Amino acid sequence: MTTAQAPSGSKEVPAGNWLGWATSTDHKRIGLLTVATSLVLLLVMGVFALIMRGQLAQPELDLVLPHTYSQLFTLHGSGMIYLVITPFALGMGVYLVPLQIGAPAIAAPRTTLLGYWLYVCGAVLVLVSLAAANGSASSGWFSYPPLADSDFSPGVGPDLWIVGVVLSTTGMILMGWTVLWTALRKRTQGMTMLRMPVFTWSMVASCLMVIGSFPSLLAAMALLAAGRADPSVFHANAWNIGYQHLFWFYGHPVVYVMFFPYLGAVAEVLAVFSGRAFFGYKGTVLSLLVFAALSMSVWAHHMFATGQVANDYYSLTSISLLVPAGVEYFAMIGTVLGGRLVFRTPMLFALAFLPQFLIGGLTGIMVGTPVLDYHLTDSYFVVAHLHYVLFAGSAFGLFAAVYFWFPKATGVELGERLGRLHFVLLVIGTNLTFLPMFALGYEGMPRRVVSYAPFDGFSLLNLLASCGAAVLAAGMVVFVVNVLWTLRKRSLGRHVPAPPDPWGAGTLEWATSSPPPATNFTPEYPVPPVRGHAPLLTLREGQGEPDDRATLSGSRG
Amino acid sequence: MTTRQFFGTVFALESALAAFVFAVVAMLVCLAVVRRRAGARRRPSRRLEHTRPEAFYVAVLVAVAAFLVVYTARQNHDEHRAAAHGDPVEVTVTAFQWCWRFDYPQARKPLAVRADCRAGRRPTLVVPTGRPIRFKMASPDVIHSLWVPDLRYKRDIFPHHVNTVTLTVDREGRWIGRCGEFCGDRHHTMDFWLRAVSPAAYDKWLAQHAGAPAGGTPA
Repeated sequence: MTTAQAPSGSKEVPAGNWLGWATSTDHKRIGLLTVATSLVLLLVMGVFALIMRGQLAQPELDLVLPHTYSQLFTLHGSGMIYLVITPFALGMGVYLVPLQIGAPAIAAPRTTLLGYWLYVCGAVLVLVSLAAANGSASSGWFSYPPLADSDFSPGVGPDLWIVGVVLSTTGMILMGWTVLWTALRKRTQGMTMLRMPVFTWSMVASCLMVIGSFPSLLAAMALLAAGRADPSVFHANAWNIGYQHLFWFYGHPVVYVMFFPYLGAVAEVLAVFSGRAFFGYKGTVLSLLVFAALSMSVWAHHMFATGQVANDYYSLTSISLLVPAGVEYFAMIGTVLGGRLVFRTPMLFALAFLPQFLIGGLTGIMVGTPVLDYHLTDSYFVVAHLHYVLFAGSAFGLFAAVYFWFPKATGVELGERLGRLHFVLLVIGTNLTFLPMFALGYEGMPRRVVSYAPFDGFSLLNLLASCGAAVLAAGMVVFVVNVLWTLRKRSLGRHVPAPPDPWGAGTLEWATSSPPPATNFTPEYPVPPVRGHAPLLTLREGQGEPDDRATLSGSRG
Repeated sequence: MTTRQFFGTVFALESALAAFVFAVVAMLVCLAVVRRRAGARRRPSRRLEHTRPEAFYVAVLVAVAAFLVVYTARQNHDEHRAAAHGDPVEVTVTAFQWCWRFDYPQARKPLAVRADCRAGRRPTLVVPTGRPIRFKMASPDVIHSLWVPDLRYKRDIFPHHVNTVTLTVDREGRWIGRCGEFCGDRHHTMDFWLRAVSPAAYDKWLAQHAGAPAGGTPA
């Protein structure tokens, strides 16, 4: 690959023009659009969650009607998974993978752009479905038939929701393909597979799962659509349970698609702010691939309570996941144990990720054990578990990534003080919201209930969780203020421009300017020689060839 | 309760393991944060691999995973074997939007417990202690799930399919039962009572209510 290739179409686009942004085939613009769109949707889904936590703050409240509540948890769950965490993860890949492997552009940029627009159209349809006569989909994010068929969920809202889910998922499949293709085929000279950064590897593993499992969701949605046209489709147990198989064949791997890229981001952040290369690189790469392979064989652990799956087998595959997960933990802890730690905001989020996600992982072993799952499934224990995985884990990785790569993408660092305040509020809010839910589930509170009685004994813990949600909301407000304030400063020209490598990082995206030029690397910012998985670190430490150092310092001016 | 005992044993074991792992990781992270801050002027390590400890660690992980899989599968099988032992009482469970109906096919005359779950009218499922109870469960509409949180057990109830579960309740008492699978807007009101009585009291109850008029709510 040479830097001479310009990404097609990028030259005609005038900077700052919204149409230019909307039609750009520059992977950096598509990536930024994707992550920005998903962050806006994150706020919408957060508002839905706040309404639910308000409703549950006290027993027998009537803040919202039961049917409204059903739509809220359906849209919160499906929105967070289909429209926020997955798209953000793939958007990060679209932005970062070409830069990290020294490519001038993404493979098949128009396909990536199409993927973004499919995602946007899908998101619009999902939100618009709320305005339908009988409301939007209201049978939970996994929408099991026959509850989700047209007999039990009449109206056009659920149909719009299905089309929206199909469009955005198709967009994600397209993005997954182009990111994978880029990593496999567009690497710069010297960038062997085993020199790709940990984040790029986490994207490769994620994209393999996207390609392998996401079409199964399209099949499940097609089956559901058939059942909405003719509900008699679900007058047979085979189709009811068949839908669950198709759904979870997607629905479990997507958990790792929503987790790996954030794990990759955390790994990069931990290494950079420990001042060293990532420890245990090969073991981590191997464990990511093993994890991705195993992830395709665990889906039915969501169905232990159906009494219609081979519990022993799915328990075996699910519990086996602790081996690759343990290897990744070993590598991350090894990195910080041997490092020299600098506590900037990205590092704080990455460090908090370690114990918090661990709670999600360890309780995952519990729900992967049939004899425990019979009690815990579909209770608040599972709600707590999945929020520790996806919020205390992935969302902390997400914010570590935002604070870490923000200067690269925008040319200006986010405010450090507001960042720390955001971090503190998020740590308190996350644990105050989700920790009580373990106890609630253990004591017998089912998920997806709009209310509970005073004598159930759920009142105090629910109140605590709702207070935690308020703290979370305050933290998110701080984050929004930080982003808007920083961007405002930049547009007024009152900012300190970020250097190419503000953190002393190791991977190739930090060798080019902040933000990078259209072709990523130019004669002024050439791709440095690659002799390891943290090439800039190798150069700084003087372990490269004698002439390498000259290349690097020359490029910085 | 038999079921609860299996759940309790495994839950205690896995909680202890989880607490241990969490403590070790939290301690290591704290250690790194305290001792490895930039001010401590240590140079960051350049070491990229520690092959031998890593291999040893993987072996430990594999052993733990193997132990957990085998041990919990055995508990799961023992639980079901223990429950299936003896002469079972049969109860036919019908879960519908949004309440429950319990039929006792072994009663001399038809006996059904029913209610509509509105305004606190919950049906009471009466069972004897010490004898296995075989629940034959089906739904006329959508998927539900029979869950008695104090028994630590739930099982989904499908339309067009009969799920059978055998449980033993080994002490007298009354516990709330719920629907565990979201089944529509009034899912949260779909509760029942499970009342376990001595076998003698159970036989008496059965004789008293057999042939009760349809629509009645015995117990």
